[in-house]
Amino acid sequence: MTSSAENGAENGAENGASNGASNGENNGANNGASVGAGGHADAAARTRVPLVFDRVSHWYGDVVAVNDISCTVTAGITGLLGPNGAGKSTLLQLAAGVLSPSNGAVRVFGESPVDRPDVYRQVALVPEREALPGMMKARAFVMARAELLGVRNASEAVTRALAIVEMDTVADRRIDTFSKGMKQRVKLAAALVHDPSLVLLDEPFNGLDPRQRLHMMRLLEERVAEGTAVLLSSHILEEIASVASNILVVLAGRLAATGDYRTLRRLMTDRPHTVRLRSSADRLLAAALMQEASVLGVEVDSSGVIVRATDYTALSLAIAPVAQRIGCTLYEVQVTDESLEHVFAYLVAR
Amino acid sequence: MSNPSAVTAPRVERAVLGRPSWLRSARAIVHLSVVRTLTPVLLITMTGLVLLPMLFALVFASRGFLSGDPVPFLVERYDQLVAAFATPIIALLLSTSAFSAESDDGTLLYLVTTTTPRWWIVFVRVVFAMVGTAAASAVAVFGTGLIATGMHDPEHITRAFGIASAFGGAAYASLFTLLALLARRALVSGLLYVVFWEGVLSTTFPALHYVSVRQWMLAVANALTDATDARLTDGPSLTASLVGAGLIAVLAVVAGARQLSEPRMSRIGT
Repeated sequence: MTSSAENGAENGAENGASNGASNGENNGANNGASVGAGGHADAAARTRVPLVFDRVSHWYGDVVAVNDISCTVTAGITGLLGPNGAGKSTLLQLAAGVLSPSNGAVRVFGESPVDRPDVYRQVALVPEREALPGMMKARAFVMARAELLGVRNASEAVTRALAIVEMDTVADRRIDTFSKGMKQRVKLAAALVHDPSLVLLDEPFNGLDPRQRLHMMRLLEERVAEGTAVLLSSHILEEIASVASNILVVLAGRLAATGDYRTLRRLMTDRPHTVRLRSSADRLLAAALMQEASVLGVEVDSSGVIVRATDYTALSLAIAPVAQRIGCTLYEVQVTDESLEHVFAYLVAR
Repeated sequence: MSNPSAVTAPRVERAVLGRPSWLRSARAIVHLSVVRTLTPVLLITMTGLVLLPMLFALVFASRGFLSGDPVPFLVERYDQLVAAFATPIIALLLSTSAFSAESDDGTLLYLVTTTTPRWWIVFVRVVFAMVGTAAASAVAVFGTGLIATGMHDPEHITRAFGIASAFGGAAYASLFTLLALLARRALVSGLLYVVFWEGVLSTTFPALHYVSVRQWMLAVANALTDATDARLTDGPSLTASLVGAGLIAVLAVVAGARQLSEPRMSRIGT
């Protein structure tokens, strides 16, 4: 991370955290974004937001798994990204209260989740590991969870949870006869049986085929429409991108970025933005764009003109007037490196 | 999956949450314990442990009057094979199987991320192990007594050890349930404890009588029988034994509940 990005990051983190918190009151649309870690969550919003990490660190012996992370998870789907060993699972366990932070504070709906079983009325954690009590039937397992959670209408809730994940027809089979994807869905049913307001999912797409993944994504979107906050860790970036625009990127235990990934991309001023243009006069357009201060370079190939610019906004404002001035028609303007995959790759490479 | 574009779950009321029912939550905990505990290997091991003192009784009975007085024979077998071996090993297997397996594969998460009080989870697990141990030990004690002496129970020795093994089963179950929550290799640690502490040290050093479940069992049996074998009379007092077992049970539930608030688990993800 360059020094300019660091400065921007600190300010952005402050803004991102407080924007996220206050936006949580407005249906959870979080438009704030920041690159880098640090900052405090808005104290006034702590009691209402589903999940707040406030300068949280956790270490196992000498190994620092989570390092001074501050961020807010509001209603909606938030993607938790990071390479293996970055601290994603530790972060989810901290959020679920099964680990206490070595430093800092975690707040779930305003309260610490550690040693407070009541918090599980509102929270569910789906771990990555597929281990389940194999000798139990799926229905009995979900029923056991419902009874341990104090669900009054347990039979109805279990039937509904199993139907939601489309396991109702095989619910009376033993779990050890299920495929990986089916076990994943049983885990999800066990998590959703009490309609939690905050769902923590660790790699939920593992083992699911494309149709099941699509179903899982729609299912999560339905839950979100009912007001649930979902924190979703995954390494399948396209799927995170399709359900969650708001992301938390964790690298080596630190929060590298948080917010809308498109906004994050624009904050990365040390990485030129790449835009592909197709027009009636590619070479003329390339020459004209080179006169713009924001443009670093152009390349003309069979697909059109590839423009690399330092300032995304300035380039956006310049393209149409330049084309008009030289009298060429624009057929296509496409940003080519604004995908979550690119954002993640840039962050990891820093 | 039929049609991913349409999630066709039945639209029913949302889950209605209350405090978990003591009975229903206990049933769920026992169900989870049974499926993790009663494996074929464990059942075969338990059967072997129950049959072991009975085999000695068969040899004793087969020799008729040549075997001599059955009371010293039964006291010795009940002490060495039941109080110091079968009861603790059965308690160890029943107490550690569920928590250890759940800690190792991470499924303990499904138990602790619930609104059921943690002390209740530990208490039910202790009672589950205690009842199983008491039942298996009772079969061993009464079966051995029946083979050795028939329906006649000289000096109420079989009845006394039947009750003492239930008492010892409770103490061992408490101890090993706590061990399962605290130690990564609870089974091995428990076996070492049974072999060295209860098997060797508690009989070698009289000072250790007060901190040995085996000796507590003998003290309880001593209070319920007319037999005057030195094994029974040399141990700690009945009061000390009851207080010791009570303390272990309370410690197991309190410390176990505390441990469950931040459970020892293998990694749940990458």
